[in-house]
Amino acid sequence: MPVEVILPKVDMDMTHGTLAVWHVAPGDNVTKGAALFDIETDKAAMEVESPASGRLHAVTAKPGDKIAVGTVVALIFAEGEDVVKVAPAPLVEPTPAIGPQPVEVILPKVDMDMSHGTLAVWHAAEGDSVTEGSALFDIETDKAAMEVEAPATGTLHHLLAAPGDKVPVGDVVAYIYPAGMAVGPRPVRAAVAAPKPATAQPAESAPGSVAAPFASAAVTDSALRATPAARAAARQAGVALAEVPGTGPKGRVQRDDVAAYLDGQHSPFPAISSPVISGPAVWSPQPGPLHISTRKGQGIPLVLLHGFTADSQSWAPLEKALGPDRALIRIDLPGHGRSPRRKLRSFADLARMLVEAFDEATRAYDRVHLLGHSLGGALSIAIADIRPRTIASLSLIAPAGLGPEIDAAALTGITRATRAESLAPWLRRLTATPEGISDDYARAAMKLRADPALRAVQADMAHVLFPDGVQPFDLRPAIARIECPTALIWGRHDHILPHRHSLAPAGDFAIHLLSAAGHVPQIECPERVARIVARHLAGAMAGI
Amino acid sequence: MNAMTQEPASQTQDLRILSYAEAIREAMAIAMEADPTVILMGEDIGVYGGAFQVTLDLVDRFGTDRVMDTPISELGGAGVAVGAALTGLKPIFEFQFSDFAMLAMEQIVNQAAKLRYMLGGEASVPVVFRLPSGSGTGAAAQHSQSIEAWFGHVPGLKVLQPSTPEDAKGMLLAALADPDPVMIFEHKLLYKMKGHVPEGSYLTPIGKALVRRVGTDVTIVAGSIMLHRALEAAEKLSSEGINVEVIDLRSIRPIDHETILTSVRKTGRLMVVYEGVKAFGVGAEISAMVAESDAFDFLDAPILRLGAADAPVPYNPDLERASVPQVDTIEAAARRLTRREV
Amino acid sequence: MTQPDNRPFAIRTYAPDQLREALKRMYLIRRFEEGAEDCYTRGLIHGTMHLSIGQEASAMATCLELTDDDKITSTHRGHGHCIAKGADVGRMFAEFFGKETGYCHGRGGSMHIADVKTGNLGANGIVGGGLPIAVGSALSAKRLCKSDVTVCFFGDGANNEGAFHEALNMAAVWKLPVVFVCENNGYGMSTSTARSTAVKHISERAASYSMPGVTVDGNDFSAVAEAVHIAVARARAGDGPSLVENLTYRWRGHSKSDRNRYRTKEEIEEWMTRDPIARFRAELIAHGLLDDAGANAIEAAAIADMEAGIEFAKVSPSPKLSEVTRYVYAEN
Repeated sequence: MPVEVILPKVDMDMTHGTLAVWHVAPGDNVTKGAALFDIETDKAAMEVESPASGRLHAVTAKPGDKIAVGTVVALIFAEGEDVVKVAPAPLVEPTPAIGPQPVEVILPKVDMDMSHGTLAVWHAAEGDSVTEGSALFDIETDKAAMEVEAPATGTLHHLLAAPGDKVPVGDVVAYIYPAGMAVGPRPVRAAVAAPKPATAQPAESAPGSVAAPFASAAVTDSALRATPAARAAARQAGVALAEVPGTGPKGRVQRDDVAAYLDGQHSPFPAISSPVISGPAVWSPQPGPLHISTRKGQGIPLVLLHGFTADSQSWAPLEKALGPDRALIRIDLPGHGRSPRRKLRSFADLARMLVEAFDEATRAYDRVHLLGHSLGGALSIAIADIRPRTIASLSLIAPAGLGPEIDAAALTGITRATRAESLAPWLRRLTATPEGISDDYARAAMKLRADPALRAVQADMAHVLFPDGVQPFDLRPAIARIECPTALIWGRHDHILPHRHSLAPAGDFAIHLLSAAGHVPQIECPERVARIVARHLAGAMAGI
Repeated sequence: MNAMTQEPASQTQDLRILSYAEAIREAMAIAMEADPTVILMGEDIGVYGGAFQVTLDLVDRFGTDRVMDTPISELGGAGVAVGAALTGLKPIFEFQFSDFAMLAMEQIVNQAAKLRYMLGGEASVPVVFRLPSGSGTGAAAQHSQSIEAWFGHVPGLKVLQPSTPEDAKGMLLAALADPDPVMIFEHKLLYKMKGHVPEGSYLTPIGKALVRRVGTDVTIVAGSIMLHRALEAAEKLSSEGINVEVIDLRSIRPIDHETILTSVRKTGRLMVVYEGVKAFGVGAEISAMVAESDAFDFLDAPILRLGAADAPVPYNPDLERASVPQVDTIEAAARRLTRREV
Repeated sequence: MTQPDNRPFAIRTYAPDQLREALKRMYLIRRFEEGAEDCYTRGLIHGTMHLSIGQEASAMATCLELTDDDKITSTHRGHGHCIAKGADVGRMFAEFFGKETGYCHGRGGSMHIADVKTGNLGANGIVGGGLPIAVGSALSAKRLCKSDVTVCFFGDGANNEGAFHEALNMAAVWKLPVVFVCENNGYGMSTSTARSTAVKHISERAASYSMPGVTVDGNDFSAVAEAVHIAVARARAGDGPSLVENLTYRWRGHSKSDRNRYRTKEEIEEWMTRDPIARFRAELIAHGLLDDAGANAIEAAAIADMEAGIEFAKVSPSPKLSEVTRYVYAEN
């Protein structure tokens, strides 16, 4: 019997070795212990010794062959033994190198909340040559139609979706093969998505069931901030999380939010049973007083009340223009800036909150100047009406409450916007010169409105304060009662509140109509507004 | 050992008050009376009575053959205990401080924990390691650690953390009745704590957590001294209307998944409080366990971990106190969690 | 007047059958190791292994007098100890093949080979790991008033571990029935004792622990048997531990990944001329306890046992994958 020469295992985790070089040739006489051949592993090269003495024959492996451990690579025959032939050592198939792959053409996501798209038409056919960037097909979403470009140059194959098919975002609809590449077998695409009824999910999707399929809404909900419990509750109820305002940190939707949302939705008489005219959004009211910030300075302080969807920081340009010396007191409206979110039943409700905050803010002073913008202007009129002895002067920039008209579309547009792109057009409505609002400005403004709870509370305020797009509260009688020096400042190009409202009320006050200014002159042209305000305040003091 | 109560039945028996150290000593004495193969080993556990006077006078009662002062040889001593356990004895080996167990990691982790498995179930290592641990004594970095989580990573070990005198006794007796190596981490600040301890022999089940306080708003899982801090914080928070459920972990390995998950499904909020360094600790294991479970869908807030600072235990008393969770930090964290500030 | 008996210790002390059985076990160790090596190089055994070819006399002569109640702790080079203590090579091969029928049900492998029933508390993958365990085992014997002794095998490498100091000190302090048997094969992996150990003979270290220490030719069956016999008797008499150093040599590398860069072929060949099996066989023949044909029959029987063992291992079932965590804890 000849002695087998095998490729030995020489390393702990070795399964194969490469024969590097033979130190002897077939027919050579070898002695036990002499070097026969070298092998190479991932880690090292090693000499393999002859297991016996005799003549080497039947060499079945050559240098460079990768061979499995234990494979016989030669035989050693004793003197006089018959030499037999054997088949070559089976080589280990080299792993095929990853060659060029066809490029996937997917149905792209072209809209923020898009989960599916309908393939409308192909611009190229099976086997057509396409170039990167050329129109490949059209898709239609709920909102728009859109052309999709070829992601690569090559030949189009395997069209997996036909015109009219509704395809989930990210699914492959075709492949582009680079020139010269063999076309593989046609892959199979999952079934075309059927439209799902917007009813509650089946019982299997209850929390706790591991294999619970996600509701179709969950596809777009995944980017939202929500706790697992809220997601489970929404899934169970078949509610799209995006519709549920979150009251947790950073607008996170929590379990209670979903419950509150469902309560609101399922209430049999929502409009009648509740005096609150509520929008679709529900949020939790917060306790605590309105936020007051002050700047120390000289003289009688100027109290500033900002407008709807703004906050105290929006006074910065005017404050700069007014100079550093004047003492300032700013109040954030509820649900704005750093003030807590509050439920409102009416404008009078809001006015009471502001009077309370005004009293608190001005406790240390006998008299203050009061300046308000837009909704803040209306509130200033209300405060001046209720606390006439405290007010040294009243400055009103485009105040609300002096007529029924208001641009409700802009208000809801601002409160609803979730992206800078959708916010920007409404912001541009605020100014006389739309180009003054840059995309960067819109992005920065949207950042301040990133909290869905903030947007929800403001949307609710809009519903309460301006139902059906009108101003139901009328402050014309109030402004007529005011005795302190009063100035109205209004942009001639105000698209939100028409400047002609300044002409309607009775009363002895100055009206400053600013050319080339819109609804926010204190931001558009702060120096001009500051000059008017400074003169007004000085005049009021001189008159005392 | 005869009596085998499954849960300590506290209320029905007369209230016999012992300290945590006395309870441990009583357990050792009961076991040694009942079973001649039980021996004690450790540094200065004889006439000195142990560094924390836990063994106290046991050498007088059972003699130096059964209450053996070892040389200062933690590796060797632990190994002798392992070898003795492998061949018929039931040694209780006391590390003077749990920190010193690091000198014996080889014997605990490579040998005691693995012998049964390496030998295909043909061997048993019924050794008990007792490890005084924790901070608060001013002993600084090498005498104050809480390293129980290290051993939680080792299959083959059981790791316990009694928080009351009653459990300290019941767990030691349970550990002795267990055929596998058991490590009991005893908090040094608890040795003098007094509490009801039943008479005679009883076993506190290994691997069973206990709801020490029922609540609805947030679950706090804590063991050892942290249990008491969590209970105190819970009491304070109850006056604010925050209703905390407090679970005494008791056993780190095996860990009682079901008691924790049941509670989390109810409260939707979880805080894990432990004295070991926060990173890679007991809290990480429990948090991940909950996140991987079906209780995930019941979470209504992020999971919070309160553990020790990312530093060795400091010497300065204020620093030392600040380096591990205290009642006020537990209280504040639970408040933030329930008030949706996290 | 009787003539003094000048025959070697083993020949004059033990029964011929016992000596012939010892020779068979030594052959069995050698063939077992070669069989294991062959299976390994063919890829039938995974992991690695540490072969004790050349050290058979140390293992067999040390275990010669031990009963199943006496314990040994073994090392990563422990196949020989296991066989010498009485283990079945079929179950050993089965373990190497990772089979459920192996001594450790496929959970331990070469480095943790053990047979608790014949008193082998297990090979150990940690150098010096068995030293304190052996002392603990001796403590059990003393506390439980048994006359068992524990023999602790360890290599020259382990004598530089802290565990060596701690274990020998405690064994001496408590006068425990343990025999420390150092198999000094000259190298801790690639580092020679000359480069790693401050004393010339490891047995010199016994003086530090007030215990007897002796160095013998570990390839001389009778010399080892005599030294261990004295140490075991001392242990059984309650006089405490001893240290026996067997000078020997492993013919193969440290493990299967050894490239033999630290020693010469000449050195290996020189040690191979001191083959402990050939020497013991010649001794038995010289003293008339065996003839050449009888010796060949013994060797053939060992080969047959080895081949039967490999066959048993090959046909044995593998552990169930679902039982990967079985034996971590006791089963109720």
